[in-house]
Amino acid sequence: MKLTKNLAAPLCALGALALTAPASATEGERIQITGEIIDTWCYFSGVMGGPDAVVGSAHHTCALWCSAGGIPVGLLGEDGEVYMVLKIEGDDQNASGDTNLNLASHEITADGMLYKRDGLNYLVVEKVVTDHGITNLNHEDYGVVPGFAIPEPKK
Amino acid sequence: MTRLIALALIAASPVYAADFSEGSTAKSWNLYAEAPALFEAKVVDITCEVTGDCPDNCGDGDRQLGLLRAADGVLVFPNKNAQSGFQGATVDLLPFCDKQVEVDGLLIEDEDIQGATNIYLVQKVREVGSEDWVKANTWSKVWAAKYPEAKGKGPWFRRDPRVNAHLAETGHFGLGLEKDAELIKELFE
Repeated sequence: MKLTKNLAAPLCALGALALTAPASATEGERIQITGEIIDTWCYFSGVMGGPDAVVGSAHHTCALWCSAGGIPVGLLGEDGEVYMVLKIEGDDQNASGDTNLNLASHEITADGMLYKRDGLNYLVVEKVVTDHGITNLNHEDYGVVPGFAIPEPKK
Repeated sequence: MTRLIALALIAASPVYAADFSEGSTAKSWNLYAEAPALFEAKVVDITCEVTGDCPDNCGDGDRQLGLLRAADGVLVFPNKNAQSGFQGATVDLLPFCDKQVEVDGLLIEDEDIQGATNIYLVQKVREVGSEDWVKANTWSKVWAAKYPEAKGKGPWFRRDPRVNAHLAETGHFGLGLEKDAELIKELFE
């Protein structure tokens, strides 16, 4: 079969896509969700304490360290689910990127696409509808977590 | 009929996490839900794997990398490398982008924390066929090369320019410098 010029181009594009995109990539589902940008290692591993202590203002410095260190960030939704953040407003630097770092501990309302795979939720944030800032003032209960996050002031 | 009942019982039974501890020499971090796990996997760009958006070289270090486990096709998320100071695993896995590897480390499966499944701390990695393990502890060297101006004493996270810029602007609690000073005073009184 001889391909016409008009047919060949889209077929080549499809072929290239088939070669580069994994077969397992799935359709996303549009979602709007409100929650806090957290560092997922401290949250999932319990290395610094229980889930309530490793979020919010108490854990803000550690959240900055983890985000800068390339620990994946997630959005802890009001539903208690964690949504692993893949992109925010087109920024795909989900390992130590500036956008993630700037939103550490912030509560945001996000509009985007949800993907599910092997028990984990993945989120492509297409738009940060509202950045509410840091709203979880859990330092009132936990102080600072971990304790060494703030060095003792020199006298 | 008995066979049908047996199949129905199997279908209704809870799914238990597979055991990958055989042969593992992973060191414990004394985490509540850790389990040693040695397995073969392909190193993939997670964003590519999940959404189909696939740049060259797994995102060249900008994207989180995953482990597509050979035994069951599960996408495992390595949140952490082997170092003790807040480092992720991308830097250590990037040299193995798109390669079949063996990894050894700690798998986190915590039923008490919503979503804590298929989370991994990678301690060492090697390409399938290689006898030499590579320790997953290269992040700090890469960071030091990226920020030569931050050279000094103490751990990297006390010297990181981006982190310190945030702390200088909004404080350790992220609530502004005035509030920060007030809270720190309370904390150390």
